[in-house]
Amino acid sequence: MPYSAAFLLLPALVPGMDVSPAEIEFFEKDVRPLLVQRCQTCHGADKPKGGLRLTSRAALLEGGGSGPAAVPGKPNDSLLVKAIRHKDLPKMPPKERLPDRDIDVLTRWVQMGLPWPDSAGAATGKFEITPEQRRFWSFRPVKDSPPPVVKDTSWPLTPIDRFLLARLEAKGLRPAPVADKRTLIRRVTFDLTGLPPTPEEIDAFLGDDSPGAWEKVIDRLLPSPHYGERWGRHWLDLARYADTAGETADFPIPEAYKYRNYVIDSFNADKPYDEFLREQIAGDLLAGPSEKKAERVVATGYIAVARRFGFDPQNYHHLTIEDTIDTLGKSVLGLTLSCARCHDHKFDPVSRADYYALYGIFAGTRYPFPGSEEKNRPRDFVALGPNERAYAVAEGTPGNARIQLRGDPHQPGPEVPRRFPEILGGAALPPGAKGSGRLELAGWLTDAKNPLTARVMVNRLWQHHFGRGLVRTPNNFGKQGQPPTHPELLDWLAARFVEDGWSVKAMHRRILLSRAYQLTSGDDRGAALDPGNEGFGRFERRRLDAESIRDALLAVGGGLDRSQGGPHPFPPEKSWGFTQHNPFQAVYATDRRSVYLMTQRIRRHPFLALFDGADPNSSTAQRGVTTVPTQALFFLNNPFVHEQAGRFADRLLAEPGDDGRRVGRAYRLALGRAPTEEERGAAADYLRESAEALGAAGVPAAQRPRQAWAGLARVLFGSNEFVYVD
Amino acid sequence: MYNDLMTHATAYTCTRRDLLRAAFGGTGSLLLAGILADLSRAEDPLAPRPPHFAPRAKHVIFLFMTGGVSHVDSFDPKPALVRDHGKTVTIHEWQGRPGKFSRHLKKPHWAFRPHGKSGTEVSDLFPHVAECVDDLCVIRSLKSDHTNHYEATLQMHTGSVSFARPSIGAWASYGLGTFNRNLPSFVVIAPHVPYAGDQTWGSDFLPGCHQGTRVVPGPVPIADMTRRVPPAVQDLDLRLLRRMNEAHLQGRGDAELNARVRSFETAAGMQTEAPEAFDVSRESDATLKLYGLPRGSTSGFAWQCLVARRLVERGVRFVELIDVGSANNWDAHGDMDTHAPLAKNVDRAIAGLLRDLKGRGLLDETLVVWTTEFGRTPFNEQPTAKGREHHHWAFSSWLAGGGVKRGIVYGSTDEYGIHVAENPVHVHDFHATILHLMGLDHERLTFRHAGRDFRLTDVHGRVVKEIIA
Repeated sequence: MPYSAAFLLLPALVPGMDVSPAEIEFFEKDVRPLLVQRCQTCHGADKPKGGLRLTSRAALLEGGGSGPAAVPGKPNDSLLVKAIRHKDLPKMPPKERLPDRDIDVLTRWVQMGLPWPDSAGAATGKFEITPEQRRFWSFRPVKDSPPPVVKDTSWPLTPIDRFLLARLEAKGLRPAPVADKRTLIRRVTFDLTGLPPTPEEIDAFLGDDSPGAWEKVIDRLLPSPHYGERWGRHWLDLARYADTAGETADFPIPEAYKYRNYVIDSFNADKPYDEFLREQIAGDLLAGPSEKKAERVVATGYIAVARRFGFDPQNYHHLTIEDTIDTLGKSVLGLTLSCARCHDHKFDPVSRADYYALYGIFAGTRYPFPGSEEKNRPRDFVALGPNERAYAVAEGTPGNARIQLRGDPHQPGPEVPRRFPEILGGAALPPGAKGSGRLELAGWLTDAKNPLTARVMVNRLWQHHFGRGLVRTPNNFGKQGQPPTHPELLDWLAARFVEDGWSVKAMHRRILLSRAYQLTSGDDRGAALDPGNEGFGRFERRRLDAESIRDALLAVGGGLDRSQGGPHPFPPEKSWGFTQHNPFQAVYATDRRSVYLMTQRIRRHPFLALFDGADPNSSTAQRGVTTVPTQALFFLNNPFVHEQAGRFADRLLAEPGDDGRRVGRAYRLALGRAPTEEERGAAADYLRESAEALGAAGVPAAQRPRQAWAGLARVLFGSNEFVYVD
Repeated sequence: MYNDLMTHATAYTCTRRDLLRAAFGGTGSLLLAGILADLSRAEDPLAPRPPHFAPRAKHVIFLFMTGGVSHVDSFDPKPALVRDHGKTVTIHEWQGRPGKFSRHLKKPHWAFRPHGKSGTEVSDLFPHVAECVDDLCVIRSLKSDHTNHYEATLQMHTGSVSFARPSIGAWASYGLGTFNRNLPSFVVIAPHVPYAGDQTWGSDFLPGCHQGTRVVPGPVPIADMTRRVPPAVQDLDLRLLRRMNEAHLQGRGDAELNARVRSFETAAGMQTEAPEAFDVSRESDATLKLYGLPRGSTSGFAWQCLVARRLVERGVRFVELIDVGSANNWDAHGDMDTHAPLAKNVDRAIAGLLRDLKGRGLLDETLVVWTTEFGRTPFNEQPTAKGREHHHWAFSSWLAGGGVKRGIVYGSTDEYGIHVAENPVHVHDFHATILHLMGLDHERLTFRHAGRDFRLTDVHGRVVKEIIA
């Protein structure tokens, strides 16, 4: 079950410190900023008033001329608390009583026993990256090791297999047998296109005994336009794509779809991943042919679709930038950079300065304004032509940002120069750089020496093929993430990825041609020996994701519109008056693939929400898989299911031949296989009994066959075999 | 009765299945079948789980008034506000901006008077609830962090003012599971969507089964609940489906596949049990009268309250009732008198719910929470203003039943109701207390997500032990 790992809890204490994570966070978020801003001007390191330094726990306990400043756990006996309450002398700060909230914070802090994290040291505490942190696996350069030697040399088909087999052999495990061809073609067709294989495609593969048959299937599927719809969707999950802005009235963004289509088209074109990233970060600034200009501007939708906040989003732009940095960190680098917004990262070597060094880059970028309750007309979109515009970013007013104390933009701290995080080399803008820094950022991210970018992406490709990544926390390659199960393989793949010119499709081929991808999923013995399948010794059975369930229903029913989606039928802009009281909300029906459904931030699409679709409010690395009765109710009673079942019935009834032949066709279309004799019998019984029951319920005879066939279709749709891929 | 099994963690020394079998004496009810089937799921995220300590409340009914109910017109009497009506006061912050702002005090539109043995003062805005004050613990010192509806609504439900986080009902479901698998663990009955939309009852990073199932009052309360084919046909569908799935399970032996097979059984049960739970037609005339519900009606807050009791009786863990949506609500900027019809919509129904729960012995194990996203300003910029603005520095809520002291008032505001004077209760403290009453330690109820442990109360929260009986 996907959630089992999530129940592992952090230890109560951070090793090496006697301060709990919650206490650290409380100190850093609430206490330290107060000490810095309200106390240390007078009670700092140099010439402290009354001889009292409030720069470390020890200094505070040592106290000044009037004795210790506090007694841990006893606020009422603590000078500091008495002073800030302004009831007795001395009153501190002398001129003005602190707000109640701040008094509350310091009183609670004393009550808690003055937790003050060791690493913080004196309140001026300098951020330093320890040698141990520099040695952490994900920050080390990619090491290209040759595939290991294995005992069973007949098993591996590709180098990938040797990496996997060596580890299985070391643990005394044998991989599961190779799956049958019917299982394989269903697996790879859903995997690459998100759609079921047709009976004709299955027959062609089954009838092809040539050694290159499997490779032929892969090479047929990769150029399919449906490939980009499937794999582009994986990227859209990471980019927290939505068609609305997410502020309190959830304003529609009619132009957002262009970025969606850009992502789909880029995957279809096998755009090199480094170029794909450069375009999304700085497409408007890249040199290149003029015919690429519009596409590259649209690409910056990656930044533009950041979430907006509040009723007046311009006043919460710092949160929109946080959302940008959070998404960038997780999706490209596998780092939770936004943890460093209020304080240095607790677990990874990312400082608050690193955060604001990136912040400056996006603060100097002009984001489009989608409209809001307060100002309900969009502005600052980027013109693509006389009558066309994109929801994209442009250069704003470049400059460095100041650190925001406590993450509060109204409490500016020191200015930090724009640069890349120190742990990743800390590259700075060249002298005299004039722009926001996005162009340079795009370069730093895609520098082949960056240890994370390629590792993170090959891990994602692996994850979507095998169900789990080699790193099982695909958005977190930091200390709180999981280390790779196969570090040498991860690095070998990363090295090949760069060597192949960052070709995503070449990586698909490498992975799909391995024997490991072709193993069965049903081997119970293997499951007992390696319950988490850490060795990838078998394939992991998977439920189809929300999009594939809906697309498969449409495809099998015969009603799927395979054309690419365009804009959504939003109400005209001149009518927009959405408010927090009456936010925008709509569900638009379509027979196109689910990637083209209109996706809202505040109210999720009901179907996607029911089947664990991505949360468009933050970067989604891996979909959850819940199994709840309301999903079963959907299969039993939802009008959409009944509509597709009716279409499927019409399709079957139009087939020549008798009912037996039609049952065969139904199974082949829905499940990719012929029914067994027993299943034929059961289906025939069902059709007969259902027609009788319909008759008993008063359904006219003329309608009974179609309704009985639609019933059989619903059963096939609802079956585990339909929604799971072996 | 089955709730009692959950009281002590030690009950888990024998298997849950044994206990339930013993408790039910082997009755073959559909309900029991549903429970047993689901408890056998090794990794069922909704299976009942032991609390951290003995709970006082096994269920919560969370009454949320959308828009911001004025504390100084309802549960926080301020004689000085009447006395000094029209006089000016200086405040030092307005909508997040520091400064000096002159404001005119505004007296309440309703008179306050003491009620019950406790003598707790309640205004004439809530005449029926006022009669129940001896069962209430009124908190007059709530405060939160944001002055806007959206953020404040989100915070009252999730603790966070900006980011999507799991709702308190989702946390309760995650922490404790549920008893009746023929019904969702967290039900939200809301005729309209409040501010912040369905994030209000979302599960966010918690497993999706913990998200609130929204019920829209009316003849079809849960989506896809109504059979679209004759029952006899659906029986055939389910029979063939089970046969197919059983054949498919051969050689696969997979917990998830099994869980999905059972989800169809539960869904089939829901089609029968949920409509029954939402059907109040067999309630007596006396009960309907208690709530003020006209016979035959399937909407209105009275219906919501009565259904809440029926859901709690059937083992639902957390029921939230939202009275109105993000339009035409308690947001009385224009005229405080617009509070009157909104109060009338809920007052009698809430009193009826309290009396009904008490009469059936359910109030002891059910915590009723009445709250809103913030209060309203005791002052205005214009002396002639009839309404009030948003006020999150201080506002009122109340709790009843579920282990809370009865007939008390906790906390106070200053003479005008502007700031909290004593015993502040931040929303985080409020949440910590509700979880505590359910037997959950808010610091231990964590979920690991994106590399760290998340809590409903973030790094805050104090259990207000003073109000616990």
